[in-house]
Amino acid sequence: MRLVHYFLRVVLLLLTAFCFSTDTCAADVETDSFAKVKQVFVKNCVSCHSEAAKIRGGLDLTTAEKVLAGGSSGPALVPGRSTESLMIQMVQPDRMPHMPPKGQLMQDEIETLTRWVDGISPTVAKTKLASRDHWALQKVSSPAIPKIGEKDWVRQPLDAFVLARLESKELKPSPQADKTTLVRRAYFDLIGLPPSPMAIQKFLNDTSTNAFEKVVDELLASSAYGERWGRHWLDLTRYADSGGFHNDIPRPNAWRYRDYVIKSINNDKPFAQFIREQLAGDELVDAQEEQLIATGFGRNGPSNDDNMGKTPKDIEKYRLDELDGVINTTFTTFMGMTLGCARCHDHKYDPISQKDYYQVLAIFNGTSKKDLPLSGNTVEKGKLKDPEKGIMALIDSTPNPKPTHLLWRGDINNPGPVVPPAVPAVLTWKDWPIQEAANNAKSSGRRLALAEWIASTENPLTYRVLVNRLWQHHFGRGIVETSGNFGRSGAENAHPELLDHLAAWLIENGGQWKPFHKYIMLSATYQQGSGHDAASVAIDPENRLQWRQNKRRLEAEAIRDSILAIAGTLDPKMGGPGIKPRIRPELLPASQRNKWPVIAAEGSEHWRRSVYIYSKRQLLFPLLELFDAPNTTDVCDCRLASIVPTQALLLMNDEFVADQARRFAESLMKVHGLDWDMLIQQAYTKSLGRNPSTERMSQANLFISQQASAHRESQSKTPDLDALIDLCHVLFNANEFIFID
Amino acid sequence: MFTRRDWLQQAGVGFGSLALASLLNHDAHAADRSSNPLATVTPHHPAKIKSVIFLFMYGGPSHIDLFDPKPALTKYDGQAIPVFKQDDVFMSGKTKNIAMKSPYKFAKYGQAGIDISETYPELAKHADKLCVIRSMHCESNNHGPAIFQMNSGSILAGRPSMGSWLTYGLGTEGENLPGFVVMLDHQGAPINGAMNWSNGFMPAAYQGVPFRPNGEPIAYLSPPTGVTRGRQRARLDLLKQWNEGHAAANPAESALSARIASYELAFRMQTQATEAVDLTQESVRDQSLYGLDNKTSYHFGRNCLLARRLVERGVRFIQLYSGGNEGPKAWDAHDDLKKNHDLHCAETDRPIAGLLTDLKNRGLLDSTLVIWGGEFGRTPTAESGKGRDHHARGFTIWLAGGGIRAGMIHGATDEFGYHAVENKVSVPDLHATILHLLGLDHKKLTYRFMGRDMRLTDVSGEIIKPILA
Repeated sequence: MRLVHYFLRVVLLLLTAFCFSTDTCAADVETDSFAKVKQVFVKNCVSCHSEAAKIRGGLDLTTAEKVLAGGSSGPALVPGRSTESLMIQMVQPDRMPHMPPKGQLMQDEIETLTRWVDGISPTVAKTKLASRDHWALQKVSSPAIPKIGEKDWVRQPLDAFVLARLESKELKPSPQADKTTLVRRAYFDLIGLPPSPMAIQKFLNDTSTNAFEKVVDELLASSAYGERWGRHWLDLTRYADSGGFHNDIPRPNAWRYRDYVIKSINNDKPFAQFIREQLAGDELVDAQEEQLIATGFGRNGPSNDDNMGKTPKDIEKYRLDELDGVINTTFTTFMGMTLGCARCHDHKYDPISQKDYYQVLAIFNGTSKKDLPLSGNTVEKGKLKDPEKGIMALIDSTPNPKPTHLLWRGDINNPGPVVPPAVPAVLTWKDWPIQEAANNAKSSGRRLALAEWIASTENPLTYRVLVNRLWQHHFGRGIVETSGNFGRSGAENAHPELLDHLAAWLIENGGQWKPFHKYIMLSATYQQGSGHDAASVAIDPENRLQWRQNKRRLEAEAIRDSILAIAGTLDPKMGGPGIKPRIRPELLPASQRNKWPVIAAEGSEHWRRSVYIYSKRQLLFPLLELFDAPNTTDVCDCRLASIVPTQALLLMNDEFVADQARRFAESLMKVHGLDWDMLIQQAYTKSLGRNPSTERMSQANLFISQQASAHRESQSKTPDLDALIDLCHVLFNANEFIFID
Repeated sequence: MFTRRDWLQQAGVGFGSLALASLLNHDAHAADRSSNPLATVTPHHPAKIKSVIFLFMYGGPSHIDLFDPKPALTKYDGQAIPVFKQDDVFMSGKTKNIAMKSPYKFAKYGQAGIDISETYPELAKHADKLCVIRSMHCESNNHGPAIFQMNSGSILAGRPSMGSWLTYGLGTEGENLPGFVVMLDHQGAPINGAMNWSNGFMPAAYQGVPFRPNGEPIAYLSPPTGVTRGRQRARLDLLKQWNEGHAAANPAESALSARIASYELAFRMQTQATEAVDLTQESVRDQSLYGLDNKTSYHFGRNCLLARRLVERGVRFIQLYSGGNEGPKAWDAHDDLKKNHDLHCAETDRPIAGLLTDLKNRGLLDSTLVIWGGEFGRTPTAESGKGRDHHARGFTIWLAGGGIRAGMIHGATDEFGYHAVENKVSVPDLHATILHLLGLDHKKLTYRFMGRDMRLTDVSGEIIKPILA
């Protein structure tokens, strides 16, 4: 269905363009010369490329319009430019792949085709695709704050934008969430851990008008904030501690990039600087160790360095595949543009040509993967003396990288013209020349030019994409749902004025995240309850206009980290090489290389935050993987929040949960003895962030007494503790534990 | 956040009763299955088969020693062959242009006269069930990328594997079992590890689930030490009571109910998945049919027998690896081809023959496709004297079962078994054909990712029409 829809869309776009963008219609391409072209096609091509026979490669050559519509490899021709036209290239002698597959057009036949292609006026064939009229390519505006009826509700300017849209649809915002809900939401949003009963109580007791602001400030100042938001960033940048593929080669220094991200976010590094360092840290004039580590951004993808074939072509193909990953990650992460689609043909939805892709490749083409020494570590025979004291970097080592060829159909056997390094023309708001570097320069400076272009406050995409990502983690969904695709094939922009207001706000405030979190969290929009409202559901069932806060399932890391925090076992130690908590031994044979150790029993060295778990590509940590942690191969924009029975099996039966439930129960008993009301109340509040109702208290008491007597009957030596463990275990599995309001 | 779709309706309908509280509609044909990613879906056209059993001979079985006899190699034994290119070999230091004749005798079997070497005497009795494709080729002569390609179409990591595509495209008919099951060799997993059965960019519901022949078939199926079934049930009862109270207070949030259902299902799976792998239910005669009475064929036989039980229970795609870890433990016969293939053929001969017999007798062969093959073949030239190197330019697989022409040979390699030359079949061609048999059009089965409608066959793939029944 989707495919059909997509083809219709492309064809419609093309037809519309033909018929409305100029006064002329397809008649222009149906010139006399096409009659001759048609003879060539009939003689040589239509047995595979016509509706009457079959349509190979989706290309139908029976009418001029259909030829122009192209096939599954993209456009068959570039109007007015035969040399850039795939069809013309493929019929040349010795060209691979070749058309016709078995045979060769006569020279005069090729000339007929060439003349026809060169004769088609580009303006006639100019499609809607080539225009810049898509909203995401327009400059970020600073929309005026709208006038609204319910002025009292508004706390921040952004609320006025939300409310204006709600009022226009006769929707009302939801009542403010109660304080216990709010403090729990704030903790999970900012640090990914639950508030302690004491923290909850402190907030409840604080009746000052800025009580919530104080909580937000405190959380933003906590280093746990960087661990939480750093993880969101690592999802985008494909972070892992091994290479995947054959040997799953360990990357003993990858964690330095992870720590760099966490530290940068904790320090609230301005976003422009964060961009520059990751894309071109080595090209910054004052580059230090930190900036070189940041270039690990380009090293995070899977790799198979020693095993992708031996011929120079194999090696080059693999190098280009890896750079493709870097280009994709860069444009998806920072600009929400699927540039990678243009590797083999012009982009089918967005005005990005294949040439644009290769011009961007030219920016990265001089880079190489280098393991640089950390200070104090020497390099001997080209290798680090201590391989664990290195920097995984992606750097340019020459001012004049070798020329970059466009590759027709992305095929290394099919090089086209040399292209210069350049930013995609249609995405830029002004000429952005990439200067040749001086001959004595250390590097080409191309990536720095790209980074400056991406980071420019005039870039129409960068800041829209960023605020949308930040919004997504506060509301569970972006204003544009496809947070890595702001192109035409992406989701609709649910609230264009709001998105622009937020982007403008962030730019005005220096591109730092912390003030922005605060701006959002102190809004009435954010502080709404997440309750159900039948009337609102009838109008806006998907809550696209934000008439309430969304309920969300905790992410994998937050689930594990919360269990540790609640049990009182979480070790807050930050940074350093990845940790390897216990994986069931029977799961270990799934990966034979770079083996995970067999852990008989976990200790506090394993009970650190999940962002520090060694990310082994061949064997992702099961608890995290089952709860939708990213697979680290591609950009992960937006995690799924699946609900599958294997998750239930893990939380019911895994030793980790059992062990932590026991420790949780023991720690409670140590403090409260056998004061059951106190034990239940504490277990409940620690886990779920609120006091149990009287009904729940009595249910829990009944459960405890039944379990304790059952344990007594089965000769347990610690029947009371076992009963409390049962309760703690139930709490770790509860919906109220795993969903936040 | 949760989408508003009603998860309630599918509570308790099987392993497939999974809710995806997905923020995004990543899924191209999500419209009809947002609530249950494994709900069965009507295919694009009527299917010939319901299930696929892929017998994956990991390491690269030698086509010229098993199914593609080459008298020319006997003639050229010890000499150079004209088609050889040094760049094609993997172990460049050890593999030179010195032809090596097969150590095995071949004969023609069945009415169709299918060539099979003496390594596979039991399988040879089923020759008339087989469709042997001798013209396979792939894009890498190295295990990692080649296994990725056979499983996912791409030599790079990160694409969903075929089993994921099938369960995504069709759902599963299994009640309390996953749709895509993987069984490893007793020597361990192949290289690439769990990435070989990855769901790639699809939801985790489509991931391959490793089944173990011993103990718990699926991870986390039994309660931890010290927790009896009764104790577990008591915990689940309180959990259910509290979760239901919470769901009642949030009636619009169907994800809450879905999660309640997932616990009940998980509880049932503990019994039913265990039952599925309980081979004591099989007669001694059936066990012996699969070679369980022999130490060498026991492990693979057990997995083949399990595969039949899973097919009976509606599992869509079952991948069985023969060969694990690497080197001699897999079909990777670098050092001594005969020693290696003697062992791995003995391990698999009776089990595969038993599987074909049993599927036929139970009327399941018509609705099941059995695939035999590895990630590539082996060089006609010698490595270190007695071994053979990796070879991607021409190799053999065979198919048997529903929708496939039985008793035929399709395609050919050149006289040395080097290049596939006649009716060449690429891995995407094979994938397109498998999808076709299952009722899926490989060009229509798409999944939107990073702005693109991705396919198992990416931009190629032609159905191998001559082999269709």
